Amino acid sequence: MSGDSTPRTGETRRAAAAGTIEIPVDGAGSMARWWPRARFVAMLWLMMLPTIAGLAIFTYFPNLETVKYSLYKWDGGAVEEFRLFYNFKQIFGGGDPRYWAAFSLIGVLLAANLVKMWPSIFTAIVLHRLKSERWQFFYRVLFVVPMVIPGLVGLLLWKGYYDPNVGLFNKLLNGIGLMPVLNSLDTAMPALAAFVNGNLLVWNSANPLWSILLLPTQIITPLFGGLWGMLVFGFVLLLLRDGVQTIPGRWMLWVMVMAFAVLTWGPNPFENPLPFLARGLILLGGGALLVEWLRKRDSIEGKDVVARIAAGVLITAGLLVLLSKIWVDPTNAFINGNPSWLGHSKLVVPAVIVWGFPWIGTVGVLIYLAGLANISKEVYEAAELDGIGFWGKIFRIEIPLILTQVRINLIFLTIGTLNEYGFFLILLGPDGGPDNAGLTPGLYMYQKAFIQSEMGYACALGMVMFTLILFLTIVYQRHLKVDK
Amino acid sequence: MTHQSHLRFKEWCKHALLCCVLFFAFVPFFLMLMISLKTNDQYTTNPWWFDAPSQWCWANWTKGWNTVGHYITNSIVVAVGSVLLCLTISIPTSYVIARYRFPGRELVYYALMATMFLPGGAAALVTTFKLISSMGLVNNLAALVLLSGIGGQVSCVFILRQFIEEIPKELFESASIDGAGHLRQMWSIMLPLSGPVIGTLAIMNFLGAWNDLIMPLILLRDDQMLTIPVGLMRLDGEYVKMWGELMAGYSIAAIPLVILFLFTIRLFVRGLTAGAVKG
Repeated sequence: MSGDSTPRTGETRRAAAAGTIEIPVDGAGSMARWWPRARFVAMLWLMMLPTIAGLAIFTYFPNLETVKYSLYKWDGGAVEEFRLFYNFKQIFGGGDPRYWAAFSLIGVLLAANLVKMWPSIFTAIVLHRLKSERWQFFYRVLFVVPMVIPGLVGLLLWKGYYDPNVGLFNKLLNGIGLMPVLNSLDTAMPALAAFVNGNLLVWNSANPLWSILLLPTQIITPLFGGLWGMLVFGFVLLLLRDGVQTIPGRWMLWVMVMAFAVLTWGPNPFENPLPFLARGLILLGGGALLVEWLRKRDSIEGKDVVARIAAGVLITAGLLVLLSKIWVDPTNAFINGNPSWLGHSKLVVPAVIVWGFPWIGTVGVLIYLAGLANISKEVYEAAELDGIGFWGKIFRIEIPLILTQVRINLIFLTIGTLNEYGFFLILLGPDGGPDNAGLTPGLYMYQKAFIQSEMGYACALGMVMFTLILFLTIVYQRHLKVDK
Repeated sequence: MTHQSHLRFKEWCKHALLCCVLFFAFVPFFLMLMISLKTNDQYTTNPWWFDAPSQWCWANWTKGWNTVGHYITNSIVVAVGSVLLCLTISIPTSYVIARYRFPGRELVYYALMATMFLPGGAAALVTTFKLISSMGLVNNLAALVLLSGIGGQVSCVFILRQFIEEIPKELFESASIDGAGHLRQMWSIMLPLSGPVIGTLAIMNFLGAWNDLIMPLILLRDDQMLTIPVGLMRLDGEYVKMWGELMAGYSIAAIPLVILFLFTIRLFVRGLTAGAVKG
């Protein structure tokens, strides 16, 4: 390899991109000029060969095979039977409610993870603001030290904290007097949810006065098909805000939105597709027209209005979901003061959300710190002169400047949450704990593949997941442009 | 309050907050060590509490060592092998992609990057298992080395490429005029200049292979072949009552990383904070 001498003199041109070299260009097309160039490129490819071969064999081949097997009935062994879209019909045709139930868990976890990423950012900012360089280095080292614990150990330790009788968590709740509060909330929250579900979201014929008073909220169910539909609408509006310029982009968006809507709307859109399609078309078409009109009227301001409407829709829907869908039934778990956090179907999800408090990933802190290190002293001095306070500095200087890291983190957080199953597998077993409360789509896939030996079906589930991740990646690319 | 003391107060607040965060980060560490030295009686009377061991039970550690000793060897083989594989294949690739433009360059790069968005989850697990078993590598550590080395190269290429592009190209050009080939240029220009980054990437890759659970869980069968996470998981199932031994096993499992970090922590912290792992 080192003996390769390349005729680069004279023909070498500077590439437009910094740091790259245009390889010799085929000039007259004669053999003498063509051959060295081909040899040079072949050498480059040869150097990349291990990467390419490894990638093709160990990453792309298995993934492409899942595409193939998604059309098969396959038990993982010799028994294969081609059956076209049977698996997909099963998934989308309402034959698998547990899979879709698993997605609502993902929604909850995603929302929780979006909150849980902030403590790391905040810690990094505090660390960055320390005046003394020595202390900064000292803390950075200390932040790395907990990484020596094998990841699994942290997990098993937390599992121990949640033990109903001897665990630290219940001891703490009892010690600071939160357990009685939880117990009283256990009756109050379901009552509130019943009120919201019975009066805010549907017409209450028993109490028409209420319903008239609360009229604006009554349209949610007929218009959006429920709160989840409202959330979808909000996201679509956000998407449309920037418009979709290209035709393939428009088509992709349409397909993805439809796929996503299928996931969230109505129990079985295939059995009774008309109302579903009509509602979807009216909403999406109406939304698109509204956005288009606003954009034409005044591009910047229009965008702003759409964003505000979308945010309003999303926040309202989110609040209503929190109030009406989560704490619906009393759990009766807190009376004795020893709730079994991982053994009660209603407590598994809260336990998973609290998991890892205070949610500071030490490596995450260091990565954010890398972004913060680029902020020059002058920026701070200028801010000081302008009288910008503590919070002002955080929101106007630090967070905007580490947005690149935040965005990348967000993308991987989302994909990670969607794919997550290892954690739940260790913690709750392949069934996802009591009443499948902790069954994520990934875990369900695992269960289908390795416990029930329906590998073809598991591959089809994987394809659905792939489509969803592709959709989310496009959304993020559009809205969270990573500028290098 | 004068301006000076106000500033000092603010610094103290920051220290307090950071110490609070560190407290939470170190609690598992501390508890693990404490419980590993307690007798089972003391643990069951007051589990998960911060009291010191009443009688220092070092026997836990010998028993722990007997159970996790060979897991550690396996894990070290896998992690070191995966780091070596990952670096030997990703360094030439990032060198080529960062330095030259040629037909297919973008294709290779984006094919690499696209793997980050593959849903890799359980479905691909099935077909990966099929692939590995058709190669006859089930219950073989080589399979883990291959999988995590090749999986880990993606982020390595992504980050290394950016770093190599920032190296002044005159350095490479003058070397090549002097007759240095690709290998020589990589060895004497690229490696010295991106040393800390490569070191950080190596450590990250090591940690990834070290903590990987799902692949070993599926691919390894014999107790003699297990890596640390799978071995510990089995212990957690078996030794439900033997907390002291279990925790001693956990602590012993952490020792190789303690040694690794003892020697590399400066490099690692610098590398991470210098933006080696920006994305």
